[in-house]
Amino acid sequence: MSGFGIYLVFFLIIALNYGIMVLGLNLQWGYTGLFNAGVVGFYAIGAYGTAILAGPDRAALIGGFGLPFPLAILGGMILCALAAIVVGLATLKLREEYLAIATFGIAITIQLVALNFESLTGGANGLVGLPRPFIDAFESTTSYNLFFLAVVACVTGLVYVALEAAVRSPWGRLLNAVREDEVAARSLGKNIALIRLQAFVLGCTLIGLSGGIYVAFIGFVSPLDFLPILTFQIWAMLIVGGSGNNAGALLGAIVVWALWTMSGLAISRFSPVGFQNQAGAIQTMLIGLLIVSMLIFRPRGLIGERATVSSHKERGAP
Amino acid sequence: MRRYLCSTAAALAATTFAAGSASAQSCEVNVGAVLSVTGSMAAIGSAIGDAGQLAVDHFNEAGGVNGCDVNYILRDDQGSPNVGVDAAKTLVEIENVPVILGAIQSGISLPILSSVTVPAGVTQISCCSSAPSFTELAEEGGTDGYWFRTLPTDRPQAVVMATIAREKGYERIAVVHVNSDYGNSLAGNFEQAFEALGGEVSSITPYNQEQASYRAEINRALQGDPDSLFLIAFPADGATAAREWISFGGSQNMLLSNALRAEEFVNAVGAQYLTEAVGIDNAQVEGESVEAFNASWKEQYESDPSGPGLHTMYDAAAVALLAMEQAGEADGTAIRDSVREITGGEGEEVYPGPEGFAKAKELIAAGEPIRYVGATGPITFDDNGDVTGPYLTWGVEDGALVTLDTWDIERVNEAMAGVSEE
Repeated sequence: MSGFGIYLVFFLIIALNYGIMVLGLNLQWGYTGLFNAGVVGFYAIGAYGTAILAGPDRAALIGGFGLPFPLAILGGMILCALAAIVVGLATLKLREEYLAIATFGIAITIQLVALNFESLTGGANGLVGLPRPFIDAFESTTSYNLFFLAVVACVTGLVYVALEAAVRSPWGRLLNAVREDEVAARSLGKNIALIRLQAFVLGCTLIGLSGGIYVAFIGFVSPLDFLPILTFQIWAMLIVGGSGNNAGALLGAIVVWALWTMSGLAISRFSPVGFQNQAGAIQTMLIGLLIVSMLIFRPRGLIGERATVSSHKERGAP
Repeated sequence: MRRYLCSTAAALAATTFAAGSASAQSCEVNVGAVLSVTGSMAAIGSAIGDAGQLAVDHFNEAGGVNGCDVNYILRDDQGSPNVGVDAAKTLVEIENVPVILGAIQSGISLPILSSVTVPAGVTQISCCSSAPSFTELAEEGGTDGYWFRTLPTDRPQAVVMATIAREKGYERIAVVHVNSDYGNSLAGNFEQAFEALGGEVSSITPYNQEQASYRAEINRALQGDPDSLFLIAFPADGATAAREWISFGGSQNMLLSNALRAEEFVNAVGAQYLTEAVGIDNAQVEGESVEAFNASWKEQYESDPSGPGLHTMYDAAAVALLAMEQAGEADGTAIRDSVREITGGEGEEVYPGPEGFAKAKELIAAGEPIRYVGATGPITFDDNGDVTGPYLTWGVEDGALVTLDTWDIERVNEAMAGVSEE
């Protein structure tokens, strides 16, 4: 396998894993209109939950249960769901930007807890030496990465299919109703608070799943993984791909992550020797420029939401 | 416009031609670096990148490595682990680098190590990551020996301080430290070493930076009747804490951490209160090989190499290239196995700079052993890839900072052995 192919496998593992996170956010924002600006906080809970459950036993740390990874990731997701219920009950009364500010603050708090709760999270040093799941069954790193990609692709596919089914169900239409007009939805006798909480918790659980997979793949977790910039990256993926469309969410994850990383490769290839320091800054500017022009020229995103048309109307009619 | 295009094309052609004729070698070998050129560490990151470039330039001037030109590829990690890991992966798989230099922050170096370099069998040498977790991981066998760092860890510093404190007859010492990973780690290591040597630590009190007063912390440290104080701090806050310690009746038997070796600190506290105090610092900032690096830095960049990580980055790159020369091939595992052959040991000393590298290449070609003494002085990697550095102790006499004593590596190792036996 060529070097680029090996890299591409690695890239897709990370990008598809971000795709799961973007799908979770899409359920919250794209379908239900919940402005979750604390994505990275739930990602951190999923990641740390998994790391603590799967990690080796250490004298200085509380965790280290050495569970098999699938169980540990499930545990991380459950932790994330519980946290989302608590956060959701406390904050979902808030609307729009108020919810954004509250969730943003919660994400920062979670990161600070990870940084300071040394006996649980290892503090600034993070949790090291996490086992890599099923690594012994593979002879080379390449075949292991291919296996990992297959697993991540299957999980992402499952999540996608399940979400598509969910948003097309009556429950999914209810989410849209809440997003478009809460008062109208309430007047139909729907429990708005419950619907919002369901969408929030389900979305956060998916974000936690993504955190668990990240830990399984990288084998290390530290507070530096959960800086607010990641929330921004995930939002950029959703908006570029097209919020309100699951396929758009996945496409956005791949396109934006490619832009974010491969631009660095391209620039380092074409920048003259001696200007490599400037290349980093150019890359950052380029990322910003492309996202801004995307918003200006194609605000619906690459795919965008499908127009909702009554099924009583004839197909093809405007 | 056309003229512009023409001249650009001509310039390009000229550059290509120049590049073609300048490289007498027929081959190129890539060396990768992942550093924070943008992001939270940007203020120091780009100068560190320059230090790596300087080492590579010097090596190319000396004739390249194994007859090949060295191509230095610097990638930005934006201060984020996910970007850094991706950059490292492209360097390894697409650019085929046998060695990666970096990263700066431990939280970026470690995921690169666990998910990219160790699985791919690529040597990783960091200039700047100081977290103790690397040592822990290496002890468990998680690094397969591919990890090295040229920055001394803080454990030897703690052991030397504990030894000095016991030699001075201190029995009960209070520790006041800045609340950061540096302060936490140094205080913890000191406690362990001091108690191993039979002393008692009466209290360990962390303080948060940039407060107007540290009365509460100092009062807590004074409880338990300590006969001395180990202050781990930066100059401004350290001066506030030291003044309050003395004015509340604390002993003038003070031990001071490396960051306090500053006139600012002495003047702010008052030299007359510091006559009993003993401080410590890395002794790597002096010596002939250090001067050689400083001079070539000045020549190249027209400024003093005063930022953090410059000396250690130069050495990281130099060690990687010399190990590659010694190994005779650009292979990560071969480089890993050669690193200790060209550092430690009894070989002939070689210094930074094109002449030093040319001499090293001659000696290696003749099969003679060499010992690289770098921009940070002599380097010896232990089994975990950590370096132990020489130290000096300093004090205050007649209002000025003076060097009291030096601890070379043998003496530091002896002190380390003295602690681990008990």
